[in-house]
Amino acid sequence: ENLLGVAPQDKEHYKGLSSSGTIKCKDGSKTFTKSQLNDDFCDCSDGTDEPGTSACPTGKFYCQNLGHSPLSIFSSRVNDGICDCCDGSDEYNGKIKCKNTCWEAGKVARDRLKKKIATFQEGVVIRKREVEEAKVSLAKDEAELSRLKNEEGILKGLVQQLKDRKDQIEKVEEKERLQKEKEKKEAEEARLKEQKSEEKVQESEESNSDNDNVAKIHDESPSDEDINKSPEDIGVESTHNDDEIESHDNIEEYEHAEKNEEPSKVEHENDPSHDSINKEEENSESLSREELGRTIGSRWTGKKTEEENEDVGASKKHDDHDHDHDHDDTHDEEYSGYDTETEEDHHNYDDDDTEEDHTDDIKHDDSTTSHKYESDDEIDMSDMETTSNPSWLEKIQQTVKNFLQSVNPFQTPVDISEAENIRKDYDDASGKLSKIQQRITSLTKKLGHDFGPEKEFHALYGRCFEIKENKYVYKVCPFKEATQVEGHSTTTLGQWEKFEESYKVMVFSNGDKCWNGPYRSLTVRLRCGSKVEVADIDEPSRCEYSALLTTPALCQEGRLKELQDKLEAVKLEIPQGHDEL
Amino acid sequence: WKKEEFRNCDQTPFCKRARSRKPQHCKLIATDVAIANGDLTAKLITPKNFQENADEDSSEIASKPLILSLSVYQNGILRLKIDEDPSQNPPKKRFEVPDVVLPEFESKKLWLQRHTKEVIKGDSADSFVVYLFDGYEAVLRSDPLEVFVREQGSGNRVLSFNSYGLFDFEQLRVKKEGDDWEERFRSHTDSRPYGPQSISFDISFHGADFVYGIPEHATTLSLKPTNGPGIEQSEPYRLFNLDVFEYLPESPFGLYGSIPFMLSHGKSHGTSGFFWLNAAEMQIDVLAPGWDANSSITLPSDQKRIDTLWMSEAGIIDSFFFIGPKPKDVAKQYATVTGTSAMPQLFATGYHQCRWNYRDEEDVKNVDSKFDEHDIPYDVLWLDIEHTNGKRYFTWDRVLFPNPEEMQKDLASRGRKMVTIVDPHIKRDEGYHIHKEASRNGYYVKDSSGKDYDGWCWPGSSSYIDMVNPEIRSWWADKFGYTEYIGSTPSLYIWNDMNEPSVFNGPEVTMPRDALHYGNVEHRELHNAYGYYFHMATADGLLKREEGKDRPFVLSRAFFPGTQRYGTVWTGDNTADWEQLRVSVPMILTLGITGITFSGADVGGFFGNPDTELLVRWYQVAAYLPFFRGHAHHDTKRREPWLFGERNTELMREAIRVRYTLLPYFYTLFREANVSGVPVVRPLWMEFPNDESTFNNDEAFMVGNGLLVQGVYTEHAKDASVYLPGDETWYDLRNGNAYKGGKTQKVDASGSIPVFQKSGTIIPRKDRFRRSTAQMENDPYTLVIAVDSSGKAEGELYIDDGKSYEFKNRAYIHRRFLFSNGKLTSVNLATATSAGPKYLSDCTIERIILLGHSSKPKSARIEPDDHVTEVELGPLQIRTGVRPSVLTIRKPNVRVSDDWSIQLL
Repeated sequence: ENLLGVAPQDKEHYKGLSSSGTIKCKDGSKTFTKSQLNDDFCDCSDGTDEPGTSACPTGKFYCQNLGHSPLSIFSSRVNDGICDCCDGSDEYNGKIKCKNTCWEAGKVARDRLKKKIATFQEGVVIRKREVEEAKVSLAKDEAELSRLKNEEGILKGLVQQLKDRKDQIEKVEEKERLQKEKEKKEAEEARLKEQKSEEKVQESEESNSDNDNVAKIHDESPSDEDINKSPEDIGVESTHNDDEIESHDNIEEYEHAEKNEEPSKVEHENDPSHDSINKEEENSESLSREELGRTIGSRWTGKKTEEENEDVGASKKHDDHDHDHDHDDTHDEEYSGYDTETEEDHHNYDDDDTEEDHTDDIKHDDSTTSHKYESDDEIDMSDMETTSNPSWLEKIQQTVKNFLQSVNPFQTPVDISEAENIRKDYDDASGKLSKIQQRITSLTKKLGHDFGPEKEFHALYGRCFEIKENKYVYKVCPFKEATQVEGHSTTTLGQWEKFEESYKVMVFSNGDKCWNGPYRSLTVRLRCGSKVEVADIDEPSRCEYSALLTTPALCQEGRLKELQDKLEAVKLEIPQGHDEL
Repeated sequence: WKKEEFRNCDQTPFCKRARSRKPQHCKLIATDVAIANGDLTAKLITPKNFQENADEDSSEIASKPLILSLSVYQNGILRLKIDEDPSQNPPKKRFEVPDVVLPEFESKKLWLQRHTKEVIKGDSADSFVVYLFDGYEAVLRSDPLEVFVREQGSGNRVLSFNSYGLFDFEQLRVKKEGDDWEERFRSHTDSRPYGPQSISFDISFHGADFVYGIPEHATTLSLKPTNGPGIEQSEPYRLFNLDVFEYLPESPFGLYGSIPFMLSHGKSHGTSGFFWLNAAEMQIDVLAPGWDANSSITLPSDQKRIDTLWMSEAGIIDSFFFIGPKPKDVAKQYATVTGTSAMPQLFATGYHQCRWNYRDEEDVKNVDSKFDEHDIPYDVLWLDIEHTNGKRYFTWDRVLFPNPEEMQKDLASRGRKMVTIVDPHIKRDEGYHIHKEASRNGYYVKDSSGKDYDGWCWPGSSSYIDMVNPEIRSWWADKFGYTEYIGSTPSLYIWNDMNEPSVFNGPEVTMPRDALHYGNVEHRELHNAYGYYFHMATADGLLKREEGKDRPFVLSRAFFPGTQRYGTVWTGDNTADWEQLRVSVPMILTLGITGITFSGADVGGFFGNPDTELLVRWYQVAAYLPFFRGHAHHDTKRREPWLFGERNTELMREAIRVRYTLLPYFYTLFREANVSGVPVVRPLWMEFPNDESTFNNDEAFMVGNGLLVQGVYTEHAKDASVYLPGDETWYDLRNGNAYKGGKTQKVDASGSIPVFQKSGTIIPRKDRFRRSTAQMENDPYTLVIAVDSSGKAEGELYIDDGKSYEFKNRAYIHRRFLFSNGKLTSVNLATATSAGPKYLSDCTIERIILLGHSSKPKSARIEPDDHVTEVELGPLQIRTGVRPSVLTIRKPNVRVSDDWSIQLL
């Protein structure tokens, strides 16, 4: 019978046609006869009777594609005048002639597959090593953590003792001081009375000068901006920047004025008096023609002009590590809060079925770089490098003991050098304690991260990967954040949130807010690669970024095996006479 | 929406003045009534005694006579013109809108030979009566001045002008010392060098239950009263083309386009229409019953009546009365004056995918391939403003689009087209060739001081091409040539946006009224037509580049009467919410009955992110509306149909596919609109003019005369209540269920919206799916016959090459299918000549579905071949899981181009 378009694994179903003459549609909706098979009329609503024509909209057409891989295409492609199968079998009504391109296409595909296998092979080795290293490193961290916790306990006790001691000394000192004070006091009081009237005058002068300071700050703010620009930027862009800020104010002013909001809500420095209707006239009148144009236009664009892609907020922020710490903390608190929300919002723009097939096409961009970031756990522990040396603690314990024995707290007047020593030791010890505590916090945080089922992502911890695209440098720091850097200004695209899709995607969320838009976010799709590189970055919807990152972490042995099997299978399919392998 | 940024009637002096006038304000009387040049002409003068008593508002009393003429045209059209008398040397010629009335319209004029006189009871002067149409006559009453159309015999009035004496015509005057003509609005000053020149009058629609039309407003289909008892405070319906940011539904405010054409419909008279050809700002009040309680006027009729007040800032009265009396008659009468809609290319009737912006070539490629990956058909991919080099139209951002030709060719290899945007604001940049030429040649609109007007729009400082001048239009049209528009290919079409015109720093976000156009015409006089001329010039450009062989496709946001001849419009920047989905239907229906049938709304809503259910519902409704395009603002999330999970992809794919299966029907309807002016989608009352329950229904609509579509406009709807009009049976096209008409039915709406086929109709479909319309060309047809109670049905199919103008040379196939007594016959409607070109098609009919046929035949005989084919049960729609349930003639395989008949046995 005419089994055009039937996949080999489906041939069984059609056997009945030659024996009994009729068979059922796969969905059981109907039966059909031999003459109805591929007669260009749809009898089965699931397309069973028309595997080789376009008659059934839900059908699939199988092309064998000898020399390449077989393909099942939508029935809508059959005889539509476009060559879809490399063997041309989908176009058979004579309207168009399709060249058989399977051999060439197959060769390309096989070469790509081979390359991919090579990448995987390389990656698998690295991955294995990294998994081992991760285990060692994490074990080390765990050990350090537990030791630090132990030390913390001891140190806490010591610090407490030193503190008690210090307090005692200070109590005595305070007593002495109070005594001296008392003697001075009477003389002081007399003098104070005389000065009273004078002070009043001074006070009012002070408040005046406060106002001056405020005004000064306002005046200086634009130049503050400029400081952050390289000299050549100032010439070219400063006007833009000023405009931008100005217009932002105008918009607010505009809207406030229109809404006739209560004066208290309107905080425009130049305009303390606020009379609703007259004000509105004044405001729009005070706008230059150009400003008005920009203001109105910005409603649609959510920005000033098309060149200034980025919002006002972004330019204000500069590399600032303290800031990052703050951010991390709040972020952790909110963690579970927006977990689900982001999942919902997550959209599959790059919902890529072809997945790893593109791996080999990734351009190895020279501009991609990586570096270690100064992570928050990189506290300077140099003065405590002894951490691995137990004698350090003993030593400090001994010192404390000595002090406690030698100093008599009730001796007056206090021995000044003794007191200083106690204070210094207390400061040292509590400083060390707080360093240990910081280290504990950061280790705990690090160990709290999900590094994957085999800790294969541990190697990415503490590193950043960059890609340059046009004028921007994009920085992806797994487990931390992602940023977009332009010159001196940094925009946060997202804080590390989590892995998704069983460790195929990294999600950074809750980045800087877009003007008139959402908080920025970045979705990083992961691919197997022997190096860690950001291969592509994109902004499919405004302020929702997507990137591609290659990493050995995705080079699983199982996948390598599958690819090798696939290549073997393809090799077997290659027709005689073509032996490229 | 920024209410304060737009003038209301009170801030618009001419509107405020007109609205405050009382009935019997007009003292004019008609004198010197005569027949001249086939018209009935008269002079309108203010009698002496009133001139002497002129009150403080002296401007309102015309000192000079006005000239009135009444002309009669074929098929029930009366034209009334009133202007200043040129022989009295007015300071300036008032603007008459050119290029809207069809040139051939004049040839349809009936040359009046005579008038008869009569004296209306109570009048002291004569009335003059002329023939208008079979059974209708036009009357000019001289004192008090009134013009009306009445039925002969019964004397029932149909339409009347100045029945309440609200007519006022501010004549142009020479500025006297002390005249302050300036008008200020917000920070803008209008110098008004010619002073007040407004016109206002009342029009009464007799025998009317509702009035409709006068787009564009985001409001209901039937127009609610705006003034009179019970109306607390409402603006009049404003006609002033404006770029309104985040417009709201339920508002009489003016949007992007203006068509001063109102229709009325009522049980007693039927339908009538009034069209005022005037391009200045217009305000129209629909007066609530009883508004005239304090006037002593009683119109001589006990019919229901709707009175309206029309006000315009400038221009003349050039108006048209359409007597109907059937809804489609009015559509045809209006089309006789302004033209029918252009025949679109087939691709344009498919699905369009747009976004602000598909960023670069890779993005385009990606989106395009996803449609194929998900087996969703689409025809056109659109590029918004970001594709240009700095908003310089006709250029490309070469970083994002290094190879535009290649990109278009790649799309074209799968039959797909591309649309790029070209707006009328031109970046003032000496390095930009368009600006250089336009400024050198003086092609820009001037400001009131005579310099090139400099406004602000997307590119920053911009000037605006003066499209009113035919020479400039011709220059503009040349810019679309392939050698001029670098990077364009024959599969590239155009989108005209911002052509109200939108001027970000202008008054009300548009051009100052005192800006000057070609011929010293003030912008105030032609504002509403600016976008129309721009649209026209662009369409001419696409026509020129292919030497008149390829039908243009140009989408415009602004529109005016006549726009239908040049292209398509959409309802502008709507918002992703349920109310806007709902209002899109009456907006599109209104455009249809006022001539612009090829229109649509952005699917999903331009601003904001639609929730998934809303997006799906939007696709489901929009699939049945003429122009079908998904679009989104750049701040929104991506919303292509495959981004919302498998189930929703399936629902949206299904909505789009249903549209594609119905394209043969849609295309036939587009042809009907092209021939007759009857719109593709119609309010129910247009098909059921006697069913009063339909008059106010704007949730459901008809596609042609065969399909009734009920939108779903609420969340979580499991079912929908649908009023099925008339007394025929209706078939739910999803399952074949039959419903009796004249009742409201509750039907399932969980996964799809209800669509019914009216019994007595035959609808052609193509049930195979393809990537785009291009691949469907040779696919066979399915006919769906819904038999009526007498066992009859009929329908039509029109086919041509889908792109050229050969159809004008009769190169098309046009069949009528008649079913009666169990026999289906295909009759030729085309009058092809043996000599001329022919459109040939080998397409066959592969399947005929019979709904409502009483017997159960087993086979059918096909003539003239005399072969017998099987009749069996088959599915109504071929979808997985759908059981065979409807009578199906299997593989008749007759050719659509042939005469044949099929007899059920």
